[in-house]
Amino acid sequence: MSEFVAIANRKGGVGKSTVAVMLAHAAAAWGGKRVLVVDLDTQCNASLMLIGGGGWDKARRAGKTIADYFYDRFDKTAEDESEYVVNNVGDIAHPRTSKGKVSLLPGSLMLEDVQGELFLMVAKKDLDADAVGVQVRGRMKRMVKHFGMDFDLVILDCPPGLSFAALAALDLASRVVVPFRPDFVSQFALDRVALLIERVEDADQLADIPFAKRRYACLPNYVRGGGREQLLLDQIALDHPLLTARLPLLDSVARAFDWDETRKSMDQKYTDALPHLRTLYDEVLGPRPKLARAG
Amino acid sequence: MTKGSKPLWGTSKDAYFRRTLKTEAGLGAAASERLFRRLRAEIVQVRLRDAASEVVGPPLEAATEPHAIDATAASAFDPYSPNVVVVVRTVGRERALEALSRIDRVEHLRLLAREQQLSIEAGIDSPADIRAAIVSAAERRIANRRAAAS
Repeated sequence: MSEFVAIANRKGGVGKSTVAVMLAHAAAAWGGKRVLVVDLDTQCNASLMLIGGGGWDKARRAGKTIADYFYDRFDKTAEDESEYVVNNVGDIAHPRTSKGKVSLLPGSLMLEDVQGELFLMVAKKDLDADAVGVQVRGRMKRMVKHFGMDFDLVILDCPPGLSFAALAALDLASRVVVPFRPDFVSQFALDRVALLIERVEDADQLADIPFAKRRYACLPNYVRGGGREQLLLDQIALDHPLLTARLPLLDSVARAFDWDETRKSMDQKYTDALPHLRTLYDEVLGPRPKLARAG
Repeated sequence: MTKGSKPLWGTSKDAYFRRTLKTEAGLGAAASERLFRRLRAEIVQVRLRDAASEVVGPPLEAATEPHAIDATAASAFDPYSPNVVVVVRTVGRERALEALSRIDRVEHLRLLAREQQLSIEAGIDSPADIRAAIVSAAERRIANRRAAAS
């Protein structure tokens, strides 16, 4: 049975794609899992990290991206999704005995346009905008869910903001990791994304859900470790579950963005970020994860 | 998590550095402060063995010579404690004022307000008024965030 984990935050620039790729590498290398990264972000950063600029350009020229998949297959009943997936991506070397591999459904600059087109396509059949939105989102959710048959873990790298694709991903995910920068503005973004994930309307309803029952946990990223940051983390911890893991502002994480044809070990790729990734992996995907799974 | 150890972050980590440096008899206040600032800037997290706090123990006599006390007292003020927003949220306005009443010096109260990003008017100059302004700013912050979360 495949598991769907979303990496999401309505705010941009918080490290969603980096976290998605790091967790994918860790799940394949340490967990021996067949992992699919679905790049739902039109910035396509996860794709660039996993197949490089050349690989991504090849995929989009061949019409094998997430936008193409949604557009081509939206109103088809028989779904053959495998041709849109690029297998054995990333630059981590896996032990020969391990089945753990990372695959990618590449992102597309056109995803937002395609969502608009799909909305109009459905709108021809139904004039109620809300109902059309629900239909588009539901169809996208089912289409992404289809990939669960071929993989142990599907990591959904969500775009910032609210698109049909992002909402479909949040609906589908059994767990959501919410990376954030520990600064003042981030609190507002966390409050808002939490309402969406837990499907509640305000802070009171959110407060009624115990931390242990929530589908999401927040991950402090770009951490420098000053007193002001800790102050903010203490404030955020009143309202949201926080992971113990923190990703410090490290060159090794920034460098990990660079895709390289030469495969390397997790140690070589993540160097001094490795212990932090280990903690994150254990908490999110390990045998006894701290992050609750949706019932 | 490593068995038999605990991670220290932020103010807990800083307090640990201060406590440890104080136990070094030959280390003057200025050098101690320089070291503290460097450690605080460069180290994100420390993982403390469970027995480590016993090893560090109380400060040694030599670290408490009169001029060292003054320098340390001046620099040891922690502008992140109390976390005013957290105190107001968890136990209310009066308890927050009570916690702030332990801070007498105007410059310390202003430093706390600045570091906790709680804006207070420049014209206020009595400690009691600054404390009240800090708590009001924390209440505004909480109300704003609550209003935005809907």
